[in-house]
Amino acid sequence: MAAASDFIIDAVSSEGPAEAHTDHFDPDVLRRLYVYMLKCRLVEERIRILYRQGRFAGNYFAAVGQEATEVGATLDLLPEDTVAPSHRNFVTNIMKGTPLPLMFAHLFGRKASPDQGRSAPAHCGYAPLNVITPSSTIAAQLNIGTGIALAYKMQRKQNVVVALSGEGSTSLGFWHEAVNFAGVQKLPIIFVVENNGYAESVPVSLQTAVEDISAKASAYGVPGVSVDGNDVVAVYAAMRKAIQRARSGGGATLLECKTYRWYGHSEIDPAKYRDPAEVEYWKSRDPIPAMERYLASEQLWSEQWKQDLTLEFNREIDEAIAFAESSPVPQGDEALDQVYSFSIRDRELKRKTWSPRPERGSSWRS
Amino acid sequence: MAVMTYIDAINSTLHEEMERDPNVFVIGEDVGKMGGAFKATKGLLERFGSERVIDSPLAEGVIISSSIGAAMAGMRPVPEIQFVDFITPGMDAITQQAAKLRYRSAGTQTCPMTVRICYGGSVGGGLYHSQSNTSWFIHCPGLVVVAPSTPYDARGLLKAAIRNDDPVMFFEHKKLYRSIKEEVPPEDYTVPLLKAEVRRKGSDLTAISYGYTLQLTSQAAEQMKQKYGVDVEVIDLRTLYPLDTDTFLESVAKTSRAVIVHEDNRTLGVGAEVAAVIAEQAFDCLDAPIFRVTAPDVPLLPASSELEHFCTISVEKIVSAFERIMAL
Repeated sequence: MAAASDFIIDAVSSEGPAEAHTDHFDPDVLRRLYVYMLKCRLVEERIRILYRQGRFAGNYFAAVGQEATEVGATLDLLPEDTVAPSHRNFVTNIMKGTPLPLMFAHLFGRKASPDQGRSAPAHCGYAPLNVITPSSTIAAQLNIGTGIALAYKMQRKQNVVVALSGEGSTSLGFWHEAVNFAGVQKLPIIFVVENNGYAESVPVSLQTAVEDISAKASAYGVPGVSVDGNDVVAVYAAMRKAIQRARSGGGATLLECKTYRWYGHSEIDPAKYRDPAEVEYWKSRDPIPAMERYLASEQLWSEQWKQDLTLEFNREIDEAIAFAESSPVPQGDEALDQVYSFSIRDRELKRKTWSPRPERGSSWRS
Repeated sequence: MAVMTYIDAINSTLHEEMERDPNVFVIGEDVGKMGGAFKATKGLLERFGSERVIDSPLAEGVIISSSIGAAMAGMRPVPEIQFVDFITPGMDAITQQAAKLRYRSAGTQTCPMTVRICYGGSVGGGLYHSQSNTSWFIHCPGLVVVAPSTPYDARGLLKAAIRNDDPVMFFEHKKLYRSIKEEVPPEDYTVPLLKAEVRRKGSDLTAISYGYTLQLTSQAAEQMKQKYGVDVEVIDLRTLYPLDTDTFLESVAKTSRAVIVHEDNRTLGVGAEVAAVIAEQAFDCLDAPIFRVTAPDVPLLPASSELEHFCTISVEKIVSAFERIMAL
């Protein structure tokens, strides 16, 4: 078996996993790529149903259709590695190992959530496995991720950071500042740009005049790679190289994954700004059946196996939802906690009134 | 005891804290080879090397947010912002990330970072080297905002800030750096965060300030004693946010009069909050309206000397406010 670093990653291929990519990988790795894509799909489609049923409030930003990127970019991460997610990377938690019941407790705003009900539904972090709790300000996570990578370097650790963002983020100065600093300091970080064609409603052609976002890497002295983001093996292979490079002190990589968002920006966006034919084209390039076809050709997949996995994952999801819905919500006044390392409860709840001191004042006149 | 300037106190404290804790590091523009625009980080590069004394790219957003990430991963970063006027590229990182990180992760992800910021005017710096902008940060729960007025406090508060687990915005007035000296004990002491200090005991009037204008307020208080026999109690807020309200409320309950002095703009400056707290919690104690001595609401500070002088705080302006509130 050839080492992964021997691979030459070809740019976007339209046919899904190609044998040229895959025959070097352990069958177990190939199966896991598929299993995780299936799980992410089932979890997110269920979340969308729950949202439409009104079972949680707020909003949700599904990455359905982008599973090859979500999974391929994160399969090889260790628990001590950090993921810096954006709003569309809820399922990154699945990849890192965040318990599913806690993820659903998060969606439902329950006390059992990793953040005890503070962040919006899609913003799930998990400190024990180094998933940064996301914010909504675009690209901020990239710079924080860069700082974590800086700490890893200072601490002589072999860990890496995977910083996820969409193509829209590359229009922000912050994105460029992060990649630039990572280049200067040779930091162990991989910037994964999920180019799903749209930043909310704005097409990528209005974000950038370059064909490949990976071209931007050359300005910062880091390698840039573009891959078919619907080809899970292509994403995985490119990522494996980038992770090895980062772990061995070789510095940062920019990886663009060209993919597509099946649904709107969020659950309240019907995405009428897109041509239905375009959506249908990309649905025909669904990364999951593509991987099924490839695995089947290698005798690594069967319909029965898929059904078994689906049953197992649906049961796991049912249990997670049951846990979340039976979990208490936080008490209202818990909103006062964890603002600082010290409590502000007395400051907020016990404001006393002062009365004049009997001995006070006006001594200067006498 | 060594007699130290404010900048000496900052510099020696950085040396000591980096010596004490290998997780402490500094990052900023010109902090390495040049030792900082004001020499606050002088000698650190030679002593601790370029891995812990990082000359950053010219990007305040990177200075702050890489510090946030490093803090999350167990380090104790002390980023420097050369002039608060340039802090705006770092505002998302400070207000949306550092301030909210602990809250949005329910205490599981934290940001023990001390952002050293040079602020303040009266040096002819013009519109972009004179600002204060403290109010931007006292509107951000999750941040601690500190502004020491003396070398002793600069040392003790900087140590406390670096050892604290919250993000601290540490405001150093550029005019204080070399204008005052005092004896500073060599031992390893801290000055508590969130605690105001009564700088001068008095019974007739409470004057509340911080940073450079605290020094001017103390001088004005002396003049009131000499001219009128009026005893002004001077309170140094030291931490601007969260405020130690008890110390100034206790004082106002005694004196019945309050004047707040700061060089930031009037509207929604620290003085607005102090005045609101007094009005809410000590209304019955007041024998006179609350006065504020502040910069006018114009962009600070216009460069030409007469324009600058018009906008900045002086001992005369403070004395004049004292006279008015005492009906003199």
